[in-house]
Amino acid sequence: MSHFDEMTALLYLDKQLDEGRDREIAAHISACGPCRNLLQALQKENIWLEEALASPDEPIPWRLSAPPESENIWASWAWTATLAAGAAGVYTVWSGMIDPWLTQASDAGFNQGNVLTMLFFSGAFWKGWDAMQSMIEFLSIASVTVVALWLLRRHWRRFTVVAAFLAAGLGMLAFSPAAKAAEVDHGDPNYTLEAGREVKTDLIVAAEHTRIDGDVDGDLIVSSRSITVNGHVKGDLLAFGQEVYVNGPVDGNVRTFAQALNLNSVVGKNVMAWTREVDMEEKARVGGTMTLGAANTELDGEVNGDLLAFSGDLEANGRLGGNARIRAGRLRIGPKADIGGQIRYRGGRQPEVAADAKLASPIQILSRGRPRPNYASLGFYWRQVLAWAAALLFGIVLFLMAPVFFRDVENSGNRFGVSLGLGLLFLVATPVAAVVACLTIIGLGVGITALLVYIIAIYAAQVFVGEWVGEKLLGAGAGTGAAIGRLAVGLAILHVLRLIPFAGRLVGLIVVLWGLGALVLAIHRRLQPQFAPAA
Amino acid sequence: MDGRKTTGAMNDAELARLLVQVRAGDADAWGELYRTFAPAIFRFCRRALPTREDAEDATTEIFMKVRQKLGTFDASRPFTAWLYKVASNHCWDILRRRRIRQDLETEDVEALPLEHPEPSQLERLQAEHAGAEVRRGLAKLPDRARMALVLRYFAEMSYDDIAETLGVQRAFVGVLLLRARHQLRDILRQGGAEAAFAARGKS
Repeated sequence: MSHFDEMTALLYLDKQLDEGRDREIAAHISACGPCRNLLQALQKENIWLEEALASPDEPIPWRLSAPPESENIWASWAWTATLAAGAAGVYTVWSGMIDPWLTQASDAGFNQGNVLTMLFFSGAFWKGWDAMQSMIEFLSIASVTVVALWLLRRHWRRFTVVAAFLAAGLGMLAFSPAAKAAEVDHGDPNYTLEAGREVKTDLIVAAEHTRIDGDVDGDLIVSSRSITVNGHVKGDLLAFGQEVYVNGPVDGNVRTFAQALNLNSVVGKNVMAWTREVDMEEKARVGGTMTLGAANTELDGEVNGDLLAFSGDLEANGRLGGNARIRAGRLRIGPKADIGGQIRYRGGRQPEVAADAKLASPIQILSRGRPRPNYASLGFYWRQVLAWAAALLFGIVLFLMAPVFFRDVENSGNRFGVSLGLGLLFLVATPVAAVVACLTIIGLGVGITALLVYIIAIYAAQVFVGEWVGEKLLGAGAGTGAAIGRLAVGLAILHVLRLIPFAGRLVGLIVVLWGLGALVLAIHRRLQPQFAPAA
Repeated sequence: MDGRKTTGAMNDAELARLLVQVRAGDADAWGELYRTFAPAIFRFCRRALPTREDAEDATTEIFMKVRQKLGTFDASRPFTAWLYKVASNHCWDILRRRRIRQDLETEDVEALPLEHPEPSQLERLQAEHAGAEVRRGLAKLPDRARMALVLRYFAEMSYDDIAETLGVQRAFVGVLLLRARHQLRDILRQGGAEAAFAARGKS
């Protein structure tokens, strides 16, 4: 008896043979043990394969948890509205925020051509064109790496890509010339650079108390409870601490984030201080501009450039070469004051000017606080429309970038009480935590990033609440156009509610708390393990 | 079609009603249809395509196509078969576009001498290799062989549909399947031998 082959057995099992051949095989297997065994083995293999393939071995990814959107008739209208809202939003942001800020910054002596160059070249981290060479090398390597990883992305698992990015970033930081060109010291617990000693590179110090009696050729970056600089710093001084005493000359800029700054020396460029107390002694001189945010400010020294100050009490009793723009609870101009430019002052009281003070021009007093809304003015409503358009544009960008996450946040808004509580918690706790993080060098980046994200999240809160309100009114239609429509309607309602005198402020606060809380809830859910497939 | 892989607890009448609602533009019904079938389609794509990212992208694109083409679906035919047809065409298009399909495979397969396997060896192979090993072995197969096995033993497609999807003659489908099974067995045997060799090396 001749046996049939495996191909025939497979076709027989799959019922692919013609009727005659099928009967022939059926008759054969009833009489042939080996062929019957082969058939059974192949049948088991079928089941084995089916079970192996059907096994739900890995969960469906989170991003597939909601159905994809498809284009519909709303799309063209949505894009038209997007473009219009975009143009209006850009105009609003420019005319309402950036342009006045640029003017203000320009008044304060930051005279570079645009925002980016101003931020960069006036920043504490700008070290001149020589340092740019290493930065260009770094950016070139980073760009090539990013392009290579992007091209290879389909062949790599996501975590591998993330790990490669981190490794590449850390590697470049570790081996870049900029990283090597700094001396890093941790005090134990205090740090002192003795007089006569000179650090040829940048110096980065973290210690309980720091005293710099020697010289630093590069920048000095210090995080410490008390910081005393008696030596010569040839670069910039960037100080984070409770008390900062600058008694030695600084050729570059001084940037401080502290409780108190005592300036008693010559600063070649600009001073920026965010502190509780600023005390500029009589013999102190600043070559550039001074930008201050402080509760109490006393300026007895000389500033060649402009002064921009936000202060509770401000007493000016020295020489100012440029203009001053001051917002303060109280302004006193002492008898030794010599102001070369114009003073523009916005404050709670009339400025007190000593009889002997020399002013190039009378003080221009600006009205205090935000002007009351003029409900009869057409311009007021136009500004509201522009603000609505800006929020809509922001919301659309957010939605298009992360539609699933956007919906997730919106759904989290259904838990009103929890969202409100979490929103309150994060509204208060985030800036505190960020400021605490900023007190250490390692936490500085995290702290500043957290503050930026915090500001963006507060603005974004209205978008999520607006979408939620829109859905409750219009229903949950599918598609991008429908989502944008809901957002437009919801934001319009929120903006109208905010116009109500007194109650509008409460509405604004609730929107921020609710949206912020929903955002936190959604992020928390994202951090939970992925769900297992139901099938 | 095996309900375990697709519709879960949903019966035919419920599915038919859901499809009518989806066609009428009901967003909630579309969401329910998606949630019912997305896990199975993702798993199908995961078996058919080389990476998880490819499978995620393909799942999204397949459902966008499904929504666009749902109007052309003949309600008298099984929905799951139609859905898998859309999915398999899409996955095969992806592989074809990337030109990583081995075009000379047909000639190789036709020249392959088919050995008569020992049933006991087959059963031992099945006993020795768990589902995860089979899936790993499957990923090492050439695209057409892997696709053929997935279409037949996951999507439970007919020989006609497999032939149409892969663009081969119907008579060739059986050869393709048998060749794929042989290749998979070889990969698993080789893996087992390597594991045994490694274990001996350690001891």
